[in-house]
Amino acid sequence: MISIHAQYQSRFREITRIEKETFEIAEPTMAALAAAITGKYGPAMTALLMDEESKSLNSRGTLYLNSKGQRMYIEDSLTDGETVFFMVGIAGG
Amino acid sequence: MESRLLRVDLTTGECKVETVPHAMFERWIGGSGINNWIMWEHFLTHDINCDPRGPDNIFVFGVGPLAATGSGSGIKGRITFKSPCYGIFGDSAAGGKFPYMVRFAGFDYIAITGKAPKPVYLHLCDGDVEIRDASHLWGMNSAEAHNTLVHDLGDFPSAAHTLTIGQAGEHQVGIASVVSDASRIHARGGGGCVLGSKNLKAIAVQGSGGVRVANPRGLLNWSKDFRQKIDQNEAIYGFKRRGTLGAVEMYQHIGSHFWRNNQGNMFRGDDVRSDNWVKKYHKYSEVCSADCYIACDGRYKIDGTESEKAKKYVGESFRRPEYLTTASAAGALDLRDWSEVAHWGKVTNDYGIDNQDLSTSISFIMELEQHGLLSARQKAELFDRDHQSLEWGCMEDVEELMKDMVFQRNRFGKFFHDGPYYGALRYSQFRGENFMKYATYGKGGASFTEEMRPFPTWMNNMAVASRGADHLKGIGLIEKFQRRDLSMKYFGRLEAADLSTPLLKGACTAVVENQVALLNSYGVCLFHWMLDPGGYTPEDYYGRAFAEVTGIDRTPEELMRDGERICNLEKAFNSRLGLRREHDTICERWMFEPCPEGMYPGKVAADMFETVLDEYYDWRGWDRQSGLQTGARLSALGMDDVAEVLAADGALAKA
Repeated sequence: MISIHAQYQSRFREITRIEKETFEIAEPTMAALAAAITGKYGPAMTALLMDEESKSLNSRGTLYLNSKGQRMYIEDSLTDGETVFFMVGIAGG
Repeated sequence: MESRLLRVDLTTGECKVETVPHAMFERWIGGSGINNWIMWEHFLTHDINCDPRGPDNIFVFGVGPLAATGSGSGIKGRITFKSPCYGIFGDSAAGGKFPYMVRFAGFDYIAITGKAPKPVYLHLCDGDVEIRDASHLWGMNSAEAHNTLVHDLGDFPSAAHTLTIGQAGEHQVGIASVVSDASRIHARGGGGCVLGSKNLKAIAVQGSGGVRVANPRGLLNWSKDFRQKIDQNEAIYGFKRRGTLGAVEMYQHIGSHFWRNNQGNMFRGDDVRSDNWVKKYHKYSEVCSADCYIACDGRYKIDGTESEKAKKYVGESFRRPEYLTTASAAGALDLRDWSEVAHWGKVTNDYGIDNQDLSTSISFIMELEQHGLLSARQKAELFDRDHQSLEWGCMEDVEELMKDMVFQRNRFGKFFHDGPYYGALRYSQFRGENFMKYATYGKGGASFTEEMRPFPTWMNNMAVASRGADHLKGIGLIEKFQRRDLSMKYFGRLEAADLSTPLLKGACTAVVENQVALLNSYGVCLFHWMLDPGGYTPEDYYGRAFAEVTGIDRTPEELMRDGERICNLEKAFNSRLGLRREHDTICERWMFEPCPEGMYPGKVAADMFETVLDEYYDWRGWDRQSGLQTGARLSALGMDDVAEVLAADGALAKA
């Protein structure tokens, strides 16, 4: 098991109703983290976080960064203690 | 597909209507593409080096073929002109209801030249055109002029929708804007100044017509699919509630704001660095355009309970500020109270002035004060008053300087009326001392209130955008959001999504510029594309809607070439004005000062700048050394006629 910290912004935070939390996951992958989050928060989070067609993370209007500022994809590995930020991906205006 | 172009010569009062033939859409798609061609042709018979504030300049308004068709993809009207503040190609888009009403009134494009002998406004109604006296409107702000026209013109055959200028345009402030229906703003490039120089206070339209499309059933099916994709997208649900302010927290996290003249890149005020305040104070939802399935607009009304400072603005109601309004206020000027940010958005709209260039002009002066570079005597020379406080985050100071600019009432207003670059240059000359390192600007001297040093594609956009530094000519989301999937799709490699390398960043600029040119020519809102409901492919998904409307069925590859052609015409316009590689540049601060904070500290643009620019020229097929277009590339794009003009002007790269 590894510990992964999740921090939520904007629409993600509206669904979770908390700013951050820690998950204990068996597989050190984004896929396992995404499964834990969608399992906890249900259909609205699944619709926001997952792309039903491709079974990957939803990339439309969203951004997921690790603590080094690198975008995370479903196939990416995680290290114990990592923080992943779940944000909206929109720019300008 | 045919449409109608109204030509108005304000000097003679002549108004005539021409048909825009189908072939024009085949070549230029519509919207900004056709606007560009109208301006290009105009300057084949008029001196392109004319004074942009003079009667020879042209002001073109146009809508794209998807506008007012019920596609649901948002409507943008576009204005195109020679920019009075930067002296180069100028254009700007805005949404709202004015664009579709232009079509319902029987027109698609309006080209205005000359200068009226006294203030006038144009009234377009179901195919008829009148130039009317606007003496009673002159001196009003944009909202007052709009409200007066709406009241006076009544509801038949429809309510009136307007473009107006505020006092900034009347005073021919170079960075003056054009305001659509009192609330949406064609902010960039100085279109309001061009209208002011022509004594044209407003364009009012009323109409009861419709819009003909080639394949209504096909468009309906496309529109239905688009609607479903939007409804299924949970991120768009969040966007509906926040609009572009949804970017505030993400930008705060990665360090992409522009704080105190970009001395920092994160907001400081607790109130404004979270988007919680958006939901807290957002009172009413609003649809920007009648033809938009997203409807991200909102409205606020201040009741004075929000904060101590909000008591100054009790009863004020306006559109919720967008991200860049917030960035210029909470960032560039360090205003930390939500009500002041909102008020800044309202007053800049009312005066009709670009809040990017205004905020960076004010923040330049505030930074000089911060460094002790302004004595009391020097401030008195600049402001024509005994005392002027220049305190970061002080709305009273900001409002005074704004009035100085709008009403051109002192040296500050006159030096900076073309934005921070020319302002800093004039002030440096006035003082006999070089202050340029404090000016934040990119191409043309235009400024922009976002951090770009960690983002090579954005940095390059600021250096090459045809209308001067700006993100909306080639918004680099592939890189900023590190979209490896899109990098693979367009380049077959991953580097475009990798912030650590200059590779594919110039290529990315070129590809996205072509896509944005397409979207601007279809006439749809860029945010529909950014939110990606139909895939990040304007050349594919939106191309199908374009085909249903126009009957022009193109492959994605052909449409990307169309986008490239449109970009090349804008480039050619600037080349005729003498712009070369050395003009594709950015300011000293962005180039050499390390990015101060956030997720990517220490980055300087200079590390990658020349490599990215070289690659951009290579992908464009332009000459690296001069930055000029080549005859071969223009010929491949079917632009031999343009190449001939450039060759005659000595503005084509030598073979």
